[in-house]
Amino acid sequence: MTLSRSQKRGLVGASLLALVLILIGTIATYFGSKYQLRIVYGSYVSLMVVLALQVFMGNARITNLSHSAFMGIGAYAAAICVTPIAMKKISLPSAPWGLNAFALDPVTSGVIAIAITAIIALLIGLILVRLSGIGATIVSLAVLVIVHSLFLYRTDIFKGNQAFFGIPQVFTLTSAIIIAVIMVYVVRGFKESRWGIALRASADDEISAAAMGVNVHRLRLLAWVLSCVLLAVAGIAYSYYLGTISARPFYFNHVFLTLAMLILGGMRTVTGAVLGTFIISFGLEWVRWLETGPTILGQKFPEVLGLSGVVLGSVIVLIMALRPGGIMGDREIEDFILKNTE
Amino acid sequence: MEFVAQQIMNALSFGAEYALLALGLAIVFSIMGLVNFAHGEIIAVGGYTMVAMAALSLNNPLIVVGAAILAAAIGAVTLERVAFRPVRYADPTTGLLTAFGVSIVLQNLFLLLVSPRPIAVTSLYFLEWPIPFVGLRISSLQLFETITTIIVIVVMMLFLKRTVLGLAMRAAALDFEMVRLTGIKANRVFAAAFLISGLLAGIACVFIMARRGSVDPHLGFDPVLMAFVACVVGGFGSLPGAVIGGFLLGAIEVAMLVLLPQSLGGMTEAFVFGSIALLLIWRPDGILTPPREKGDKQ
Repeated sequence: MTLSRSQKRGLVGASLLALVLILIGTIATYFGSKYQLRIVYGSYVSLMVVLALQVFMGNARITNLSHSAFMGIGAYAAAICVTPIAMKKISLPSAPWGLNAFALDPVTSGVIAIAITAIIALLIGLILVRLSGIGATIVSLAVLVIVHSLFLYRTDIFKGNQAFFGIPQVFTLTSAIIIAVIMVYVVRGFKESRWGIALRASADDEISAAAMGVNVHRLRLLAWVLSCVLLAVAGIAYSYYLGTISARPFYFNHVFLTLAMLILGGMRTVTGAVLGTFIISFGLEWVRWLETGPTILGQKFPEVLGLSGVVLGSVIVLIMALRPGGIMGDREIEDFILKNTE
Repeated sequence: MEFVAQQIMNALSFGAEYALLALGLAIVFSIMGLVNFAHGEIIAVGGYTMVAMAALSLNNPLIVVGAAILAAAIGAVTLERVAFRPVRYADPTTGLLTAFGVSIVLQNLFLLLVSPRPIAVTSLYFLEWPIPFVGLRISSLQLFETITTIIVIVVMMLFLKRTVLGLAMRAAALDFEMVRLTGIKANRVFAAAFLISGLLAGIACVFIMARRGSVDPHLGFDPVLMAFVACVVGGFGSLPGAVIGGFLLGAIEVAMLVLLPQSLGGMTEAFVFGSIALLLIWRPDGILTPPREKGDKQ
């Protein structure tokens, strides 16, 4: 298989990003306290979500607001499969269809969760890809609301806003790093593949791309399902580490948070997704510390609840006003070190 | 009979609320292509103004209502100046995300500066009393809401059809460059659009507050989500579409509430959104516009 020039550059770029991810992860593993490890793990899960989001939003350029719902589907599906029977008898005493009478190993559960998410994504995608622009965004919003209502309504399966507990904690930070690194290669690979290029062309000019023989709907569907599969992986990573999940983290707050990460870095590039995620994850942690009213240099600061929200919102507004393309715009990481000869 | 009449009244008042908000969203969208998600926070501005009025012990209902509507209008115009001017000619996605950002900032500012907890507002309870009507009892609030909405729609129609600024706004929705070439100031058209949307949000705020009796930072989120959907149903940016979409959504919501069995009560929202999604597949550009291939001549 011969790679095109942009694909070779993509390989370099993905490797550089992978290096950065491994570096941050290794430093955290060896020097981080338990609390810091949790934060770093959280940012790697966010990174998976943002990378998954980039596959669809960055290539098809349709704003998707339902990603947290698919992450939730993956997380719940895996959790229901993997939790030991004894645990489920306590937490889901009245689950239908014998859901509380079986338990699988983590790998099988993960595969099943990904398959379920992919099937649901395919069915919704068949509808969604036919729309473009604001219409598609609204349908994705409807998907988010519907899935969330289901989580809340079927308390016998999902426990609603209560914690679904007893999920075996099989993942460590190392597993998250490995998954994130693989994901960077997949996402960048898709971007530089012929499908990715055709899809980006169709986002620039749908009619011309279609006239050149690009099957826009099918490509969008491909990106959508891939994006949802990666989201399911993020959801699984989330539940396998925390051991407890509930419906609340898979709703609007999470949608906005991850969306802010993507648009801050720049939704057109994978580098932007990584950069935005780390800036917001770690920046927000710092703001949260300010929020609790810390003592700096002997000066006691007041407690300011809601500061993190103000900062997050301001970041979105400022980025949109000053640099609508995000920090990276159209540049990937390798553009800084390789020669640009277009 | 009484049950049916009551449900029709419910549908009308729900629909009126959505139509008021959807009109506010549509007028802004038609001119600058901005999906103003921060509309809900304008409603909350009105709500908090009522709290401030109560704190100042100004209990005259006219003053309270007037101040709330005025505050909402000022809030909307301020947002246009501060936040939306830089993204004026940007694509809809940029505008949508900006509006999301503004909405998050405002919600958290309310949380930070006022209180995360709901605050009771009792000054509007006087709007609610049962009216006997040919053997039926209907809520005065619902009646007021429906009538007000109809009046507002008529006034707006007159404004858009009979005044120069109204004409400019309708023209701006079609071709903004042309409007500017005829010597109309762009700033004025944008300000007018936001002023109108703020006034509409303020009026809706009065009814929402009269019904809920309390204000919290997330007051406007759910109503605007529905209004947003109403806009899409009617065709984004179309004013008649927004009104029709609003009333249709009200009808769907009440129908779902009535027809769904008790056990599915928690799923009303899901069914409403589900039917909207199906509607969009049938008519991607809203019920007033027949589906059209990309690239077809308008």
